[in-house]
Amino acid sequence: MTTTPTAVGTHGAPRGAAGIRPAAPTGRRRRGPSASQWAAVGFAAPLLVYLVLFYAYPLWRNVDLSLHDYTIRAFVQGNAEFVGFENYAEVFASSTFPTALTNTVLFTVGSIVFQFAIGLALAVFFRSSFRLSGALRAMFLVPWLLPLIVSASTWAWMLNSDNGIVNSVLGAFGAEQINWLTSPDTALLSVTIANIWLGIPFNLVILYSGLQNIPGDVYEAASLDGAGAWRQFWSITFPLLRPVSLITILLGLIYTLKVVDVIWIMTTGGPGDASTTFAVWSYREAFGTGQPDFSPAAAVGNVLILVALVFGFLHLQLQRRQEDS
Amino acid sequence: MTTHRAWWKTALGLLFTAIMLFPVYWMVNVSLTRTGDLRSDPPHWFPWEPTFEGYTAVLDQQLPALGTSLLVGLGCVVLTVVIAAPAGYALGLLHLRGGRTLNFLLLVAQMIPAVVMAMGFYAIYNRLGLLNTVGGLIVADSTIAVPFGVLLFTAFMSGIPRELLQAARVDGAGAWRTFWSVVVPLSRNSTITVSLFAFLWAWSDFIFASTLNRNGDLIPITLGIYHYIGNNTTQWNAIMATAVVASVPAAILLVVAQRYVAAGVTAGAVKD
Amino acid sequence: MHHLTRSAPRRTIALAALTTLAAAGSLAACSSSDSPGTGASGGSDDTYTWWDPYPQHDESSDWTKRVQACGEEAGVTIERTAYDTTALTNQALLSAQEGTSPDVILLDNPAVSTLADTGMLTTVDEFGLDTSAIDQNLLDAGVVDGAAYGIPIGANTLSLYYNADVLKDAGVDPASVTDWDSLTAALKKVTDAGHKGITFAGIGTEEGSFQFLPWFWGSGADLTDLDSPEAVEALELWKGWLDEGYAPNSVIQNSQNTTWEEFLTGDFGFVENGTWQVNSAAEADFETGIVQLPAKDGGVAPAPTGGEFIVAPVQQDTERYETTRQIVECMTTPEGFVETANTFAYYIPPTADGQQALLDEKPELEPWVEAVQNAKGRTSDGLGTDYPIISEALWTAVQNALSGSATPADALKAAQADAESGTN
Repeated sequence: MTTTPTAVGTHGAPRGAAGIRPAAPTGRRRRGPSASQWAAVGFAAPLLVYLVLFYAYPLWRNVDLSLHDYTIRAFVQGNAEFVGFENYAEVFASSTFPTALTNTVLFTVGSIVFQFAIGLALAVFFRSSFRLSGALRAMFLVPWLLPLIVSASTWAWMLNSDNGIVNSVLGAFGAEQINWLTSPDTALLSVTIANIWLGIPFNLVILYSGLQNIPGDVYEAASLDGAGAWRQFWSITFPLLRPVSLITILLGLIYTLKVVDVIWIMTTGGPGDASTTFAVWSYREAFGTGQPDFSPAAAVGNVLILVALVFGFLHLQLQRRQEDS
Repeated sequence: MTTHRAWWKTALGLLFTAIMLFPVYWMVNVSLTRTGDLRSDPPHWFPWEPTFEGYTAVLDQQLPALGTSLLVGLGCVVLTVVIAAPAGYALGLLHLRGGRTLNFLLLVAQMIPAVVMAMGFYAIYNRLGLLNTVGGLIVADSTIAVPFGVLLFTAFMSGIPRELLQAARVDGAGAWRTFWSVVVPLSRNSTITVSLFAFLWAWSDFIFASTLNRNGDLIPITLGIYHYIGNNTTQWNAIMATAVVASVPAAILLVVAQRYVAAGVTAGAVKD
Repeated sequence: MHHLTRSAPRRTIALAALTTLAAAGSLAACSSSDSPGTGASGGSDDTYTWWDPYPQHDESSDWTKRVQACGEEAGVTIERTAYDTTALTNQALLSAQEGTSPDVILLDNPAVSTLADTGMLTTVDEFGLDTSAIDQNLLDAGVVDGAAYGIPIGANTLSLYYNADVLKDAGVDPASVTDWDSLTAALKKVTDAGHKGITFAGIGTEEGSFQFLPWFWGSGADLTDLDSPEAVEALELWKGWLDEGYAPNSVIQNSQNTTWEEFLTGDFGFVENGTWQVNSAAEADFETGIVQLPAKDGGVAPAPTGGEFIVAPVQQDTERYETTRQIVECMTTPEGFVETANTFAYYIPPTADGQQALLDEKPELEPWVEAVQNAKGRTSDGLGTDYPIISEALWTAVQNALSGSATPADALKAAQADAESGTN
């Protein structure tokens, strides 16, 4: 499986990031552009229809919700008042906003850094196959199989202040009881840990496949030159994995920004607002109380999408810079 | 010397896996615990007085739901691959104009929160008559996997050696023939990877099933769990038992599929 | 099948387009099996749709059979869908928006005014239903602007269960728990004897408010005034228990189910929980009993009512109302109420006759009937749709105070400010 997303959306030959094939562009379109383009459109047609049908409408609906004042009465009757950017103004002025912003940044950065680092470390570890490596690698994907309500509840169980196994173990070493989920100081940390656990399989699979595409002879040459394992990692593995890493981190970012279930089940964003991120805030406005507040929820949701968009643009720029270099 | 290293690595691998899967062990532990012992302080490391009522409940009641989840998962895999593979071909090899924009749109598509998608789908499905159908759920679940699948296929297919494609063209193959006879066989690994992701995401989906498929005769396992969640009471050992039982077939699929995900593209090109 | 000609690309597009259309078409076609009728509303002529929040009762349960029986009596088949209670309100809103509301919904009583406010529910007067026999304190939860929008099918409420073995060991007489001071004293004795005192649910959801309300109301506070001195006293009671170690830290995160699991370990002396655990209490490893939740200075504290209302959404085809009315009436006869009570362990019937019939069958439920008679709807006193906003402010204050982020007084002051700005 290739790992060169530099090819994504480009018209030139992929750079030798994985060293698979010659760098010089040898592929030439044998037909005139139009015929090849028609073929391309034909192959992409199902996707295009699919995108318009299933993504455009919910997105438009969300924008619509955020620009009107949808009390639940208006939601049902369909006659909401247009209020422009008032919902957004309320969101930015709300007392929850700074807390949610800080929490989102901490949660996202914390999750991604550790998910990526641990995933990469494990991928490198599994790279050389040893006995049982295949089966063990498959076992790492088991967390993915579990419904989120189960995995999140299990973590909540384990981190319970009074009867959780984590405190029990810590207590055996003489540590004080930590109120993981009920103290404002540690609530965010707890959900981050659970989220890291959930994200490791994804990073492991992608990074591992990326590693598989780095030919072994590069490493052999390096060790012949006397480079140790650590040096090999920094000089060979890390640079060659850059495009894969970029896309993994970007996707990880997008997915982490959307995380609601884990936090909701473990702490419902609490205590108070201690573990509320934008996604949780949006969910809570819409579904967490007896009085659904769809418009502010949609506004927060759109802010989230905008943040993700910014990072998407960044990624695009980074990609372009890589291609031009 | 290699055997020496291998043993050491295997031991370390087992240790890492054990740490990673500890919560799963805990889940199994809870599934066998009596309700009265669930919150005992200090907690029991091992269910000394096990109860199998969770498992009996699951085996009595949840097997159809397991079947439905399997059906939805596999259906989602098929649909995802059918849409994403040709698109990957178009973007990666046929150099679709506006490909970069399309890729960006795919990224944006993945940014939409699931709840927003589910609410939008409710309206669409209501008009198309797809509520409470397995087919509708398959389509909804595929929206989680398709953008990612396109990304993966594009990346992989653009890495296929040009010589192979040129050879096909020299033989007079058109775009379709090239796709079907050359690209698809070479993409076996990426197909399996995309299938894996699509299956796993569909298997553990809750939000779409909850909004769109409540009353079908066939509900997936994630909804089946709610059978044990009453208004004010919850049967945790049954819920955990459901998760354990649900994990088994999927875990088997995983072990089988991992072998293919591992192999690199060079291996694929050389063999085929 | 695929010619190697230059016209292949166009053929490819055509093929792709056709495939997409075919796929979409077949999806729509294959969808015929289960979908309830779209378009108009409710179901077809002899299928009536019914939503309730009891997913734990499936097709083979007594509850479903009962529902079907009522349908048969009215001459129709009932198609029942169970949602978990948190999702039901939103599903109802979504379907109302689409014009596909079901014929009957059973939903948690505080949500009734929310739905009524959108105009998607019919009033009981429109239906010609007689509600004079229903206890007013129970009916009030569904009254908005003087009109009643549904009928309670039963009510449950909270009380204080105790572990008789633990109390005996600590030398506490349950009958001595009559007000807050005596309760706190009992907790002290229990913890001094090496056991745990009390557990309850302070989670940041409606359940947290539900469990806090008996103490809130028991101090004399009112929901329109969250930062009154009485309210602060109530919150300080809980905070005090936490600080003294009479209640565990996990109460901040506990749902009602979790508190019951904690109680079942046998370590705790008291638990605040509801009618629905009566059976589980009887099967516990130790002897249990209940005392009424005490008000601050004695007497029974008003506890909030749980339990669902049966409501009828507005339908485009008003002919359907006749049959719906029959179904509702079937569910709300005195015998019907007792059956519901037994199915749901234990909903207390909302009428005097129903309560008497239940007591004839099960005299041991006397304390629960008393508790329900003293109970209060959360959306009563004209709070209606203001209640959810006040409730959210209240549970946030509880969370902040118990976790130490704010003092009880400050937390409640912030809550009152939030509630006021939210309800204007």
